[in-house]
Amino acid sequence: MHTRTGAAIVLDTLESLGVETVFGYPGGAIMPLYDALYDHRLAHVLVRHEAAAVFAASGYARSTGRPGVCVATSGPGATNLITGIVDAMMDNVPVVALTGQVRTTVMGTDAFQEVDVAALTHQVTKRNIVVRSIEELEPALHAAFRLATGSRPGPVLVDLPTDVLRAPEAEPRGAGNESLTSRERPHATAEALDAAVAALLRAKRPVLIAGGGARWSGATEIFRSLAARIGAPVVATLHGLGCPDPDDPAFLGMLGMHGWKRANHAVAKADVIFALGMRFDDRVTGDPAKFARNAHTVVHADIDAAEFDKIVHAHVKLHGDLRETLVALDHRLARVTLPSFARWRESASEPHERLPRDEARDEHLSATDVLDALFAALPGDAIVTTDVGQHQMWAAQRVRASHPNHFLTSGGLGSMGFGLPAAIGAQVAHPGRTVVAIVGDGGFQMSLAELATLRRHDLPVKIVLLDNRNLGMVRQWQELFYNARYSATALPDNPEFTTIARAYGIESRLVDHAGAVPDAIARMLEAPGPLLLHCACYPHENVWPIIPSGKSVDDLMEPVPA
Amino acid sequence: MRTVTAYDGRLLARIIHLAHRFGCTYTRAASERTGVAYRMEFAFAGPSDALRRLDAQITKLLDDDKETME
Repeated sequence: MHTRTGAAIVLDTLESLGVETVFGYPGGAIMPLYDALYDHRLAHVLVRHEAAAVFAASGYARSTGRPGVCVATSGPGATNLITGIVDAMMDNVPVVALTGQVRTTVMGTDAFQEVDVAALTHQVTKRNIVVRSIEELEPALHAAFRLATGSRPGPVLVDLPTDVLRAPEAEPRGAGNESLTSRERPHATAEALDAAVAALLRAKRPVLIAGGGARWSGATEIFRSLAARIGAPVVATLHGLGCPDPDDPAFLGMLGMHGWKRANHAVAKADVIFALGMRFDDRVTGDPAKFARNAHTVVHADIDAAEFDKIVHAHVKLHGDLRETLVALDHRLARVTLPSFARWRESASEPHERLPRDEARDEHLSATDVLDALFAALPGDAIVTTDVGQHQMWAAQRVRASHPNHFLTSGGLGSMGFGLPAAIGAQVAHPGRTVVAIVGDGGFQMSLAELATLRRHDLPVKIVLLDNRNLGMVRQWQELFYNARYSATALPDNPEFTTIARAYGIESRLVDHAGAVPDAIARMLEAPGPLLLHCACYPHENVWPIIPSGKSVDDLMEPVPA
Repeated sequence: MRTVTAYDGRLLARIIHLAHRFGCTYTRAASERTGVAYRMEFAFAGPSDALRRLDAQITKLLDDDKETME
């Protein structure tokens, strides 16, 4: 048995924890780790900015349910990870970030590329760990993975001083092969489950809301089975999309600020709400005092007890893993005769509702036309990522994800620049699947350099760029709420994106009229490699409907007919 | 007054930051090393709803702290 360095221990431990790929960018303090990577089995995806490393790790985690790992050096490398770490914290994504650090003997002396990343990320990680000796490496990594995946998932950062990475282990031994075990999870109590059943037995207009907890607990199957048993209308939050069956007539679509009218109206009329793995985000509730205002009972299921009564008072609290909670609930419901909610479900379903939209003018292409054509053409197991802005909401309104892991978006933090690197992470995790990044011209320009990552690793990600030459969502709010004073949102000087893509060796096509869209999408999906579809869209198309921030469904806005 | 045991001594700072984020202030914060852990005492002032949410967050942080060390 040869003597390993700290760096080799890190890589061997990652491998023993089931990690196959890490996303990263090298630099001074992390060089010992990159030296060990040179001939290690672990795969490494070289990104072009550390922010992309953490978003790619997030995309990997969101599309697999397993932890994603990113690596950066000390100082600016580490600080460049922070937005993505916060993003993972907000969206409960198990990301393990490994950062290089100056050697332990100079920590605290303002050494070159020294930053106290542990202090900087203290509030925005589940935990961070500064490793001070080689003996602490394996336990620290095990703790990081256990914590990132346990209970409510989230990011953990492990800071690795360069001398610890270079140090030889005192007693040579092979890599461990330990499994991840977490502390015992809470279980919903029998009393709470009985109360939930009783609420349903009394209900006349119940609604089930699927949240992001469904993804992380693996609750999709039991959610659908439970929804079928209950027969009530079903809605989803942004992160709950894919949990309800998109073909189920009881599914009314996304809830919230840009959700479907019928979904928001159903929740407003409901007398009993089952909020399942959700946190009542302000983009969902609007004015919390008016949210679900006719509900006499709110049943809230969540793994995180701190979510109960945080925004909306829960009359019944089901504290536990969502999948286990729903299984227990299903067992109880199998023993009772539920009232029929068919009439309520039919009245809420509004099967002929169409999303309101602006009509594109002057022969311009409509972004929503592009998305309608895209979602009609995508295979059922395609993974879609989005960036942040109008295109994200248009996509969320229309996506027909068959699983929560198929629609990846930055929800809580709303981080522009997420879409392309997240698609890279998803494509690495699923090499045989169709992965599409839907991006706007603003966010795409925050991640353009990752075209090089696509080329380097030959990742066949398809990029649908909805270019309206504006920071569209901000422009829309300026139009609606700031007297049309368009401050710093016009991007008339956008580059020729197709030329840029070609410069990176990426195939690209321009589409600027509706008639060409179906063929362009078909050809894009047939392309064996990465491809940029640059859609030159009507610049003033807005996202409808919209419930203004802090308002209720009563204030829902739709386009004014021309 | 809430007295807790934490393995990560930095939790004192994290909890104080959290309290201020929630619009509360701390009226007492003390920490003493006891073997491998820290015994911390906190008292906060602020709106009752914020104090309740703060208390729930502290409980979660302590759960994660315990898991890290187990």
